Amino acid sequence: MASAPRSEIQTTVPALSPARPVIWPPRPHTTLSNGLEVVLVESHTIPKFTGQLFFRSGNAVVAATAPGIADMTATVVRTGTTARASRQIEEDLRRMGADLSSGAGADTSVVSFAGLVDFSNDLLCLVAELTQQASFPADEFERERRQLIEGLRIERATPGFLASERMRKVLFGAHPYGTISPTEAQVESYRLDQLKDFYRQYYRPGNALLVMVGDFSPRAMLAQIESVFGSWAAGKVDEAPNPALPELHGRRVHLVHLPGSVQTQIVVGNRAITRKHPDWLRLTLANSIYGGAFNSRLVMNIREQKGYTYSPRSGVHPLRQHGYFTISAAVRNDVVAATLTEIFYEIDRMRSTPVGEEELADARNYLSGLFSLGLATQDGLAGQLATSTLERLPEDYLETYRERILALTAADVLAAAQKYFDSANAQIVIVGDRAQLETQAALFGNPEVYDAQGNRI
Amino acid sequence: MTQLNIPIESMSLPNGLRVVVSPDRAAPVATVGVYYNIGFRIEPRGRSGFAHLFEHMMFQGSANAGKMVHIKLINSSGGVLNGSTHYDVTNYYESVPSNALERVLWLEADRMRALKVDEENLRNQRDVVKEEVRVNVLNQPYGGFPWLDLPPIAYRNWSNAHNFYGDFDDLDAATLDDVQKFYKTYYAPSNAVLLILGDVDVDEGIKLAERHFAGIPSGPQPDPADIDEPPQIDERRGVVEEKFGTLPGIAIGYQAPRRLTPEWCAAAMLDRALHGGRAGRVYRSLVLEQQIAVDAEGGIHYPVGDLFDYNGPTLMVTRLLHKPEYSADQTIAAYDQVLDEMKEKGITSEELEPLKVKFRSNYFSMLEGGHGASIPRYGLMHLLACFTLFDNDPHLVNSILGGFMEVTPDAVHSAARKILTRPNRSIVIRQPAKKGAA
Repeated sequence: MASAPRSEIQTTVPALSPARPVIWPPRPHTTLSNGLEVVLVESHTIPKFTGQLFFRSGNAVVAATAPGIADMTATVVRTGTTARASRQIEEDLRRMGADLSSGAGADTSVVSFAGLVDFSNDLLCLVAELTQQASFPADEFERERRQLIEGLRIERATPGFLASERMRKVLFGAHPYGTISPTEAQVESYRLDQLKDFYRQYYRPGNALLVMVGDFSPRAMLAQIESVFGSWAAGKVDEAPNPALPELHGRRVHLVHLPGSVQTQIVVGNRAITRKHPDWLRLTLANSIYGGAFNSRLVMNIREQKGYTYSPRSGVHPLRQHGYFTISAAVRNDVVAATLTEIFYEIDRMRSTPVGEEELADARNYLSGLFSLGLATQDGLAGQLATSTLERLPEDYLETYRERILALTAADVLAAAQKYFDSANAQIVIVGDRAQLETQAALFGNPEVYDAQGNRI
Repeated sequence: MTQLNIPIESMSLPNGLRVVVSPDRAAPVATVGVYYNIGFRIEPRGRSGFAHLFEHMMFQGSANAGKMVHIKLINSSGGVLNGSTHYDVTNYYESVPSNALERVLWLEADRMRALKVDEENLRNQRDVVKEEVRVNVLNQPYGGFPWLDLPPIAYRNWSNAHNFYGDFDDLDAATLDDVQKFYKTYYAPSNAVLLILGDVDVDEGIKLAERHFAGIPSGPQPDPADIDEPPQIDERRGVVEEKFGTLPGIAIGYQAPRRLTPEWCAAAMLDRALHGGRAGRVYRSLVLEQQIAVDAEGGIHYPVGDLFDYNGPTLMVTRLLHKPEYSADQTIAAYDQVLDEMKEKGITSEELEPLKVKFRSNYFSMLEGGHGASIPRYGLMHLLACFTLFDNDPHLVNSILGGFMEVTPDAVHSAARKILTRPNRSIVIRQPAKKGAA
C-alpha cells in the first residue's frame, strides 16, 4: 500500500478493490423413487444443519371449503404422532439441540428444522414421523384452536395486519389470495377430520421438496434421507384453483377504522407478477430504486427529507399464481395526504423519466452484492435454495442472477415502472382513526370505510 | 466440544481504539462493526431517549461523507448497514462484498472523527424517531411490553428505570449543542471497539484499521455512569393499560446475578429450564397443560437483549399473555407453583443435560447469524464487542461455553432458591382497556 498523506486518506473515498468471484456451492438435486425431491448443500460454518420440508400445497388449495386449514394442520402436526406424545416430541427436540416449526402460507406447507449434526439422523426420523404418522390428538387440536382465536383477536388490533388483510382482499377479491387469515367463526367450525384429510391428501412425497444445508457430506446425508423417507407412499395431489381476479378500475381508497390510533398505516398496491415472469428482475430493480433499499427515492423523500415516517418501504411479493407490489409507511396522522402525494409523485417520476446512469449502476450493484451475502450462512443458503427450487427456477438461477441484474438498462426500469407501478389504478389502504383521516383520504377518492372485523361501515 | 477455536486477533491503537479481527475466508463477504460503550441505560440523566436519537444522527453526515453519502456508498457497494442502541452499547454495522471493506472502514472512521450535522438534520430525525416509537410502542398491541414497562417498576436508579425510547418532551428538548457534546463525550476512540469479520487477512485488517483510524485524536474517557441499585427487599408491582390488545399480560422480572459468575451460569440453565421453548416448564405448565396462558416466553435480559450484552443490573423475565377468564392473581398463583416446585425439588441431571445440548446448539447459531441472513456473523461480532468493551477479553467467545457446561443440578437448585424469591421480583400487569370478545 503506497503511503498517502493523511489528509488525502481522510478526504478520498477508497475505490473498490477487485471483487473475489462468487462461487455457489454444488447442490445435488435428486428425486427419490417415491417422488420426494431433495436438494443438499454442504456448509461448514458451524457444526449444525438446517432443513425445510415443503409441501406444494397451502391454504389456497382449501380456501373454498376451510380457509386457513392448511396452517392449522401444520400446527397440530407438531403435537403428536402414533409413536410420540406432544411432551415427548418437545423433549426429544431439546435433547437433540434442535429447533422445529411448522406452518403454511397460501402456496406451501412447511416443516422447518435445525439442529446439531451429531443428532441429524434422530432429527430426520422425527421429521419423517411428523409428516407421515401425525396422530392429531383432539385435546391438542382444541388447545391450538383457542390459541389461534386469541391470536386472531390481537391481529385485528394490529395496524400492519389490518392493512395487509384489506390490501389482499382488494387486489384478489374472491381468489384464495384475497384471504390471509380465517375469521373466528371459520376457526370455530374447523373439524379434526378436515385436518386429517388435508394431511392425507397433501403431505405426500410427490408433492414435497426437502432442502438441507449444513455441516454434512451430501452423499452420506442422501443415504440417511433414503433410509428415513424412502418408504413413504406416493400420492396424487390437486392443484390449487385459480379463479378470476377482480377488475380494478381507477384509484380507490379503503379506510380501516381503528379507534384511538396515534399513527396511520398506509399501504398502496397493485397486482404484479410471479418470480417466473420474464419481467421479474426488471421489476425487482425498479422496486429497489423506488423504495426497496435504504438508499431509495421513497426513503430519501418521506423519511430523510420530510420526516413523515420511520419505516417506509416498497416490495414485490411473488405468489405462485400471481404477484403484487406494495408501498407502505406508518406515518403521523396529520401527514397522510402529504405522504400519499409524495408516494404518487415518486411513482410518476419512475414512470415518466429514465433513471440516470449513476443511480442505475448503484441499484444494480446493490442487488448483485446483496444476493451474494446469502452465501455466508447456512440460513442464507437455505433461503436462496428454497426460493429457486420451490418455484422450479432454472438450475443456473443462482449462478446467473448477478450477471442478469448487472445487464439491465434504464429502459428496462422505465418499462417495468410503466407496466407495474400502475399509478392510475393503484389501490390505497389506510388504517387509523377515521376522524383523523376522512378529509385527507377524500383527496384521493371517496373512501370505503371498514371496521377492524372487515365489515363495511 | 466446549472450547472453540474461532480465530481472533485483537490490539489497541495509540488513541485507545480497540481493534478485533476474526477472519473466515470461505465466502467473499465481510462484516464490520463499530461499538461505542454508550447505550440507553447509561445516557445522561434527564435526557431520556437521547442515546437512541443520537444513533440516528450518526447516519446524518460526517466531514467527508455528507447526508446520505454513507448509505449510498454502502448500498451501491452491494452491502447493507444499520445501527442499534442497546442498554450499554450502541452499534453501527455493515455487511458487504469484501472488495468494499476499505470503503466501509473509511466511512466509519470519518464519522468517528468528525460528525457534521445541522439543525435541519436534528429536526428531521426527531420526527423519524417519534414515528419509530409510535410504530413500535404507542400504536401496537403490547408495544413495549415488557421492556419499557418493567424497568420503572423494578428499579430505583434513574439510569436503570427510565423510558429508554424517550419521552417526547425530552426528545423535543434536544439541541444541536447536546448532540455535539454527547458525541465528544461518548464517541471518542478509547470508548469504542472496531470489529472486522469474514473475508479479510488479519495483517491486512489491522493495517487498514491503522490507516483509517489511527489519526483520529484521542479524547478523555467518559466517567462511568452510576447504575448501582439499592438492594431490593420487597416485591414490586405496577399496572399499565393495554390500549389495543384483547388479552391481559403479565410480566415478572427477577433480579439476575452478575455476569460471568458461576451463579450467573447456573441462572442461565435455570432460565432455560423455565423458559426454553415449548419444553420449558413455564410454557408446558401454563400454556400446554393447564391452558391458563396462551403464550409464555422469557429469558435473562429478555426481550431486547441476551445473556451477554449488558453490563449492570438486569432481570430474568417471564412474559405471559393469559386467557381473560383467569384473573391476574390466579395466573400468578399457577406460575408461582411452577417456580416453587423448582425451588423445592431442583432439577435432575436428566433434565439438565439436554438443556446444555440445546444451549450449545443455540450458541453456535447465534455466532453465525442471529440477525437474519443479511448480516453474516452478526452474533459473533456482537459477542466480541461486548466481551471487549465490558470484560476486555474478546477471547471469551471461545471459552465461555465451558462455564455453562459445568453447571451441576445442585448449582441450579441453589440459584433457584436464591433468585426466585418474592422480594427479589417485580410484576407488571398489562390490563386491556377494552373487552376481549369480538
